[in-house]
Amino acid sequence: MMQTADYRTGVKPIWCAGCGNYGLLNAITRRALPNLGIPNHRTFIVSGIGCSSRIPAYIDTYGLNSIHGRAVAIAQGAKLARPELTVIATGGDGDFFSIGAGHLPHAVRRNIDITCIMVNNFVYALTKGQVSPTTPHLRRGEGPFLSQEFYPPVDPLLDMISYSLSTGSSFIAQGIATDVPHLAWLIEEGIKHRGFSFISVLTPCATFSPPELFSIIKKKAVYLREGEPIDLPDLSREGARLHDPGDIGMALRLAQVSLLEEPFLGIFFQGK
Amino acid sequence: MVEENRRSNITIGIAGAGGDGVVVLGSFLQRLAASQGYYSQMPRYYGAQIRGGGSAVKLCLDAESLSMPKDSVDVLACFSWEKYLELERELALRADTLVIYENEPQGGIHLPEKSFRLDFSGRSREVTGATLNKNIVALGVLEKILALSGDRIKGAIETDDELKLLRKKLPALEAGEHLFSELSLPELKLSPAQDASVKMVLHGNAAMAQAAIRVGCGAFFGYPITPAAEIMQEMHKEFSLNEKPYLQSEDEITSAGMVIGASLAGVKSMTSTSGPGLDLMTEMIGLASAAEIPMVIIDVQRCGPSTGIPSKSEQSDLNHAIYGGHGDAPRVVLAPYDVEGCYRLAIESFSISQYFQTPVILLSDQWLGQTFVAINDEFMRKDYPIYERKMPAIKDNEDYLRYQLTEDFISPMSNVGDEGLIYRTTGLTHTEKGTPAFNFETHHRMHEKRWKKLAPLCQRDNLVKVFGGEESDSGIITWGSSAQVVLETVKELGLRDAVKVCVPELIHPLPLEVERFLGSIKKLLVVEMNYSGQLHRYLRSQTDLPEKTEVYARSGGQPFSRHELTGPITEIAR
Repeated sequence: MMQTADYRTGVKPIWCAGCGNYGLLNAITRRALPNLGIPNHRTFIVSGIGCSSRIPAYIDTYGLNSIHGRAVAIAQGAKLARPELTVIATGGDGDFFSIGAGHLPHAVRRNIDITCIMVNNFVYALTKGQVSPTTPHLRRGEGPFLSQEFYPPVDPLLDMISYSLSTGSSFIAQGIATDVPHLAWLIEEGIKHRGFSFISVLTPCATFSPPELFSIIKKKAVYLREGEPIDLPDLSREGARLHDPGDIGMALRLAQVSLLEEPFLGIFFQGK
Repeated sequence: MVEENRRSNITIGIAGAGGDGVVVLGSFLQRLAASQGYYSQMPRYYGAQIRGGGSAVKLCLDAESLSMPKDSVDVLACFSWEKYLELERELALRADTLVIYENEPQGGIHLPEKSFRLDFSGRSREVTGATLNKNIVALGVLEKILALSGDRIKGAIETDDELKLLRKKLPALEAGEHLFSELSLPELKLSPAQDASVKMVLHGNAAMAQAAIRVGCGAFFGYPITPAAEIMQEMHKEFSLNEKPYLQSEDEITSAGMVIGASLAGVKSMTSTSGPGLDLMTEMIGLASAAEIPMVIIDVQRCGPSTGIPSKSEQSDLNHAIYGGHGDAPRVVLAPYDVEGCYRLAIESFSISQYFQTPVILLSDQWLGQTFVAINDEFMRKDYPIYERKMPAIKDNEDYLRYQLTEDFISPMSNVGDEGLIYRTTGLTHTEKGTPAFNFETHHRMHEKRWKKLAPLCQRDNLVKVFGGEESDSGIITWGSSAQVVLETVKELGLRDAVKVCVPELIHPLPLEVERFLGSIKKLLVVEMNYSGQLHRYLRSQTDLPEKTEVYARSGGQPFSRHELTGPITEIAR
């Protein structure tokens, strides 16, 4: 077993105190990579642009902090060229769901064996607080949570699961930056999954999100565990159902539940 | 000895509607001639429609050497006068042109004296039951007019796999040959080929793909675009046979991104595109320049800006290739001017990109890319020096500096996956270690490194071709496919001693050899196919030009004719 310290570089992160990115950094360097025993040199982490995309500099593997939205493109090229590499593409909600959103359905469709980790802090933080495609509404029709004047677009998780329907082979999970062991487990499962895997990481932004946003998410978070009953808001008529990550229909139902109503954590869907 | 009634060089035009089989006819004729040793070039002219638009080829057969088609045609085979009129400028008739055609012209066409209406469709129907093979009937007539050797034609059809489609169409071919005899059509005989060895037929796009394969390109990513799609198809064919990574990406941003990913992993990789795709790749060129990642991009230029004329040639991406993108992002720009150069410079592009860890943009154009050329295949068999990226000397090095400042500014580069040589890189300004940095000194030093490492390229005299009278103080600088017409026109005008021609194949950084050329002349003419004179402006920005400098620059959309270049060239040679 490798020493956990082996996966951290000496570079000090630029992140604010209380930033969720520390949770992700710990999940990757202290747990996921050591637990899987993947040699540093066989791992390649490609990021986009934003707070979370600084992460390659802090992890002692091969790394590239690339261009806004393009981590997925570069990661696929590297994986195709050298399939023995473990390739991780990481970035923020702006990377994956705004500027680079066009790349995602194709990565899913191709089902190339890379792991995408989207750090979702619901805001453009590096540029100081603009809305992102994942900035939540309190209620439909009302203004965005961040009391900005712009309106955010679609529910991201719904899209990911819809994309995966066309491929029948994918891995979609959601973790939370404040539960490092659980997040690390999801990342390990994502890396082990043979095919494209996507992990959304709910992340507090200590500087640009109102503290209530993340405290609501944390309070309401519900863990999905295979074989255990899940509590969907409108399931009263159907009776209890057990979580089955192989059931794409259920994954769609889960994704349609508003994040502020019931944020689910765990593996939504895992195809073959 | 050339018989008196034979010609060493004949230009044949073929015109019709898309779907008439014009390109197939031209290609068969070219290949049959190539099998008897004739050199040839066959540019294609076509419109925007998939089917039914105007389609034409201009095949220039030559018994002695590779030459350019004449402005006008010696022979014309026409299936549709209506479509001919769309492409009339490319296939101009003379009073002595021999014309064979299917339907009476509607008007607006003055037929030369030697014009013959032939029922290609009717003959095709008679012998094959359908009009589909009318182009093959015409082929039979044309090979007789040119007096190609009948025995060798039969032999070639039997043995050449590229001609195997003709094996099933022999009745149509023979019907054409009979038609020629029945009507006692005049001949326009070609002299026997001086060197009867079989010529290889390929276009610039294929030559570039073949070179990439030869040099060990191990991954190809692309997005379909006219007129570069043939490169992608050729790579697809090859890579699916050899199970190498080939992928049609969702856009050109991704193609270029995948090239970068594969290249970091140590695999030579490439993409091909045309102007609109180069636009999208621009941010990746900046990243490859900043993070010093080898990358080869082929740009088969077409008319721009925006969508422009996708199927026609222009040389208007030079500015973008040299300067495109924000920040100071050095890169290397190469431009071949003939099919041999397409092959040689594609090899060179990989060598330069690997050795100097830089993006290389290889500027071709529609004319070079899609003109079929019959030529000796020596250049595809000979050896070329191939340079690889410098690997770190020490294999296990915790203190490995990916961007180490060395004497030649080139830092040894490990491949992602190599043990003991882990590094992290970024498009952010970074230190020698690759760690993000935010201070002036580092930023300035890294700029200096990236620019200065390319300086040795300026010494590459062999990437500048100089032709003609060494003593002359009149010079022409031209580039890309325009160079072929310039050279041909200078030769035709008998001015080879009076004027010398410089064709830089390496354009950026500018080779010293170009400056030496400029220093040796008093009068300069710059010839290029773009409205604003991009090469001329670039040269002005880099070096002093003679006081008397003329520019012949016009937009693309129509190939340069010898006629239009005669004035400017004669003037400068005076």
